[in-house]
Amino acid sequence: MKHSINRRTLLKGLLGGAAISIGLPPLECFINANGTAYAGGGTSFPKRFGVFFWGNGVLPARWDPTTEGTGYALSPQLMPLAALKPDMTIISASRVLTTNSSPHLSGPAGLLTGDALSGGTVTRPSIDQVLAQEIGGETRFRSLEIGVQRSDNSYSFSGPNQINPPETSPRAFFNRLFGDGFRMPGEMTTADPRVRLRRSVLDAVGGQAGDLRNRLGSADRIRLDQHLEGIRGLERQIARLEENPPSLAACRRPDMPPEAYADIDGRPQMSAISHAMADLMAMALACDQTRVFFNMYSQSVNNTLFPGAPAGHHQLTHDEPGEQPMVDAIVRLIMSDLAYFLSALRGVPEGDGNLLQHSIVLCTTDCSYGKSHSIDDYPMILAGSAGGALATGRHIAARGENSSKVMLSILRAMGVRATDFGVGAGRTMDGLSALSP
Amino acid sequence: MLRRLTQAQYVNAIHDLLGDDLLVSRPMEPDVSLGGSISVGAAGTSISPRGVEQYEALAYDLAEQLLRTGARRARAVSCTPMAIVDATCAETFVRATGRRLWRRPLTDAESTALVTLAGNAAMTLNDFHRGLEYALSAMLQSPLFLFRVEIAEPATGADVARFSPYSLAARLAFFLWNGPADDDLLAAAADGRLSTDEGVSAEVTRMVASPKLNRGLRAFVTEWLGLQRLDAVTKDPMVYTSFSSDVPAAAREETLSLAEHLAVTRDADFRDIITTREIFVNRRLASIYNVRAPSQMRPDGFGLTTLPEDSPRRGLLGHVSMLALAAHPVSTSPTLRGKFIRESLLCNEVPMPPVNVNTALPEPTTGLRTMRERLLRHQVDPTCRSCHALLDPIGLALENFDGIGAYRTNDHGAAIDASGNLDGVAYGDSRGLTQTLHDSPAFPRCISTRLYRFAYGRHESDGEEAEVGRLAQDFAYGGYRLRRLMSSIAVSPAFRRADSTAGRQP
Repeated sequence: MKHSINRRTLLKGLLGGAAISIGLPPLECFINANGTAYAGGGTSFPKRFGVFFWGNGVLPARWDPTTEGTGYALSPQLMPLAALKPDMTIISASRVLTTNSSPHLSGPAGLLTGDALSGGTVTRPSIDQVLAQEIGGETRFRSLEIGVQRSDNSYSFSGPNQINPPETSPRAFFNRLFGDGFRMPGEMTTADPRVRLRRSVLDAVGGQAGDLRNRLGSADRIRLDQHLEGIRGLERQIARLEENPPSLAACRRPDMPPEAYADIDGRPQMSAISHAMADLMAMALACDQTRVFFNMYSQSVNNTLFPGAPAGHHQLTHDEPGEQPMVDAIVRLIMSDLAYFLSALRGVPEGDGNLLQHSIVLCTTDCSYGKSHSIDDYPMILAGSAGGALATGRHIAARGENSSKVMLSILRAMGVRATDFGVGAGRTMDGLSALSP
Repeated sequence: MLRRLTQAQYVNAIHDLLGDDLLVSRPMEPDVSLGGSISVGAAGTSISPRGVEQYEALAYDLAEQLLRTGARRARAVSCTPMAIVDATCAETFVRATGRRLWRRPLTDAESTALVTLAGNAAMTLNDFHRGLEYALSAMLQSPLFLFRVEIAEPATGADVARFSPYSLAARLAFFLWNGPADDDLLAAAADGRLSTDEGVSAEVTRMVASPKLNRGLRAFVTEWLGLQRLDAVTKDPMVYTSFSSDVPAAAREETLSLAEHLAVTRDADFRDIITTREIFVNRRLASIYNVRAPSQMRPDGFGLTTLPEDSPRRGLLGHVSMLALAAHPVSTSPTLRGKFIRESLLCNEVPMPPVNVNTALPEPTTGLRTMRERLLRHQVDPTCRSCHALLDPIGLALENFDGIGAYRTNDHGAAIDASGNLDGVAYGDSRGLTQTLHDSPAFPRCISTRLYRFAYGRHESDGEEAEVGRLAQDFAYGGYRLRRLMSSIAVSPAFRRADSTAGRQP
C-alpha cells in the first residue's frame, strides 16, 4: 500500500501549512496503482525548475544565431547543444534593464531578481528561490545548489547577502542526497527511535529561537528567520524518514562518485566533475528529492585554467586579442558540459516523455561580451518546457525586450500566478509573448 | 546585533569550551566576506539550509565525541546519575555547559526544556549519557550558540545604552581571542566588574597578555589581507614550475607568522611589517626566495631568518602570499597589485571598472615586451586612465616579482623598470615603495580602520570617523604597536556603547 496521500497530509499537518506558499495550484503528484509512475500521463508529473550558470559571458558574434524562429541554424558556440535543439529555446537580444554598475555582478542580479544591486548585494530572492518557496515544500529538499568550480559563492539568493552556497564535491553531494537520509521504496526498516529524537531536538531549537526573535531588530530578525526556516526544512527531511518514499520508475540509487578529482597539469577536471554532478542531479530530480536547483558551473570573474588554455578564463576574456579563439574554445567546452547536463535530465523517462520536458532549465551567464561586460543582448537558453507550457525548438531575437519578461514567463509556465516580476526599471507585468506555446 | 560564528570561531569555541581534543572535522557554513571583511560578513549573513544540515551533523558528532566514553565524559559531567533519568544531574550538566556555549546563564525555562529533552532521549535509548548527547546537540544547533547575540541594557538617565555584561564579555573575547569568553571573563560579567571602566581595563590587560591573543591577531590579519583567498589560488604549473599545492598554505603561514612576531612576540612598530628584512620560511618558501633555510626551525618546519641588506625583497609586499594573490594564473597583474595596495594598505576607494569598454591588452611583442609597455594604453586612454593612474604605476613597482613572488630582473627578455612614485613621492624600486608606504600616515590609519571594522563587525559610519581618528592617533602615539591598538579599541567607551542594531533586553 502506498502512502502518497498520507504523506501530503502529514506534511501539511506538521508545518501547519505555514511553509507552503499560496498562489499555486496543487501539484498532482499522486502515484498510480502499480506504484511505478505518477498517474495521469505526462502533464501530471511535477514541474521542476533549475538554473545552469557559467561565468564570464560569451562571444556574441559567435553565440547569437543569425536566423530566427523554428527553422534557425545553431551558431558556432551553440553547436555542442545540437542534439537538444528540439528541447530548447535560444533567447537573444533581450536586455537587463536594471543599472549596470558592477561588471559581472549587475547582470545576474538584474536578470535573476529583477532589481539592481544595492549595497553590493541583491535586494530580493533570485528566481530559483522564488520558485522554491512556491513549489519546494513537497520534497525532501526545498532546493539543491551545486557547482563545478570550487567556490562557496553563488547567485542563488534567499535574500540580501543570503547566498545558498553550492556543493562542489560530487562525493559530498552524493552523501547529502543518497546517504543516511535516503531510502528506496520498500527499504522501510524497523522504526529508529533516534529519528524522533532528532526531530524533538530541532523542535526545541526552534522554540528557543522564537524567544530570541522578539528581542531583535528587523534586519536581524530576517536573518534569524532564515535560520529557522532551514531548521524547519531539516525537520521536514527527517519526517520523510518515517514515511515510505515515493515509488518512481526511474529512481535508483546511483553509484558513489570518487572522493576527489585531482587537478591534471594544474587544471581542474571541470568536465568530469560536471558530468558526475549532472548524473547525481538527474537522479535527485528523478527520485523527487527536490524540484528546484541551481547549478553554479563556474563563477563570475573566475580565472579557471581550462584544459589546453594558456591562461585563466577571465584574463583571456580581457587580454586575448582579435576574435578570441581561446575564449571561444572555453565557451564551447562549457556548452558541451551543459549538453551533458541537459541530456542527463532528458535521459530520465517519465510517462510518455522525459524529465527535461517537465522542467525548465534557465542557462545563462553574467554578461554578453566578457571583454566589455555588456548586459545588452543577454545570452539565455531555456531548456525544457514545463510540460509544454513554453515554446521550444526556436530562436527568439527579443530585441530590446526587458529580460524580466522571460523570468515572468518562466514563473507562469511553472504554474505560479504572478502578476509581475522585478522592480523599477526591471519590472514587467507581461511575459515574453514569443515564449507562448 | 547577531554575529554568526566564523568557521575559526566555531572551532575555537568547541576547543575552549568542550576540550581541544575534540575533532571538528566536518564541513560547515562557509565564511562570507562583505566589503572585504569576514567580520562584517558574519554580521550580515544567516545560515543556509545546507548549513543547518551541516551544523546538525557536527553537533551529533561532537556530542558523541564528548559524552560517549570515559575520560572526556568525566570531564564534562561532574555528577554521577542515580538513574537513567536523573533530572538533577542532567540539570547540572545543562546549566554548566549551556552557560558557556550560550555565553550567559540559562533561564529556568531553557534549562527545563533541555533537561526534558535529555530525559526523553535517555528513556528512549536506556542510557543517561546518551540522553545528554541530545541536550548538548540541541545547544550546539541553537542560534544562541551559532550566533553571538549582542543585547543592550536599557539606558538609565543620561547614560547611553550599553551592551549587557555578558554581551560585552563575548564581544571582548571574540575580538581579542577570536573565541569565547573564559570562566574568569564570565565571572567578571556576573559580578559586575565588566560594568566599570577599571574592571574592563583589568580584563583587557589580562586578555592581551594571553597566548590566545595570537588567534585574534591571526583572524584580523587574515581578513585584512584577504589571506583566506589563498585556498582558491591557482597557478599554471607549466609557467610556475616551483609552485605546488603546498605553497598557498605555507605562504599564508609565513605572513601570519610575521604579523605575530611583530605584534605579539616583539610588540614592535607594526608598520615594519612592510619594510622588514625578517622573514619566516619553510624549505618550500626558502627555495622560491632563493635563501638558505634557517638553522632553527619550529616544529611546523618554519624558521625566522633575515634577508641580506642588498636583497630586493622587503616585508609583506615581498611575500609569496601577496604576490601570488594579486596576480593571474600565468602572469603578474600590476593592476591587481596596485588595487591591493590602494584598498588594503591605504584604504583608498577604487571605483569599479566601467562597463562597455574594450579591455584588451596588446600581446607581448618585440616592441611591447614588459608589462609597463603593455599597460601603456591604461595611461593614455582617458577612460582607462582615471582609475588605472591610481593602480598600475604602484603595481609596476613589484614587477621584479613574478606571479608567485620569485625574483626576476627581466620580462620577456627586456629589463624591468620598477621605478615610480606614490602620490608624488618618487622611488626607484619596490624597496623605495615600501619605505614610502611605511612613512605615509595613511598606512597606520588604514590599519586602524580595518581593525575597527574587524572589532565592530561593520563599517564605520560618518559619525564614527572621529573615533577611528582618535584610535589612529593613539596608535601613532604608542609607537604603532598593534597590541596597544587592540587594547585601545577594547577598553574604549565606544566599544561598550550599544548602537541601534543591538538586541533588547527581555
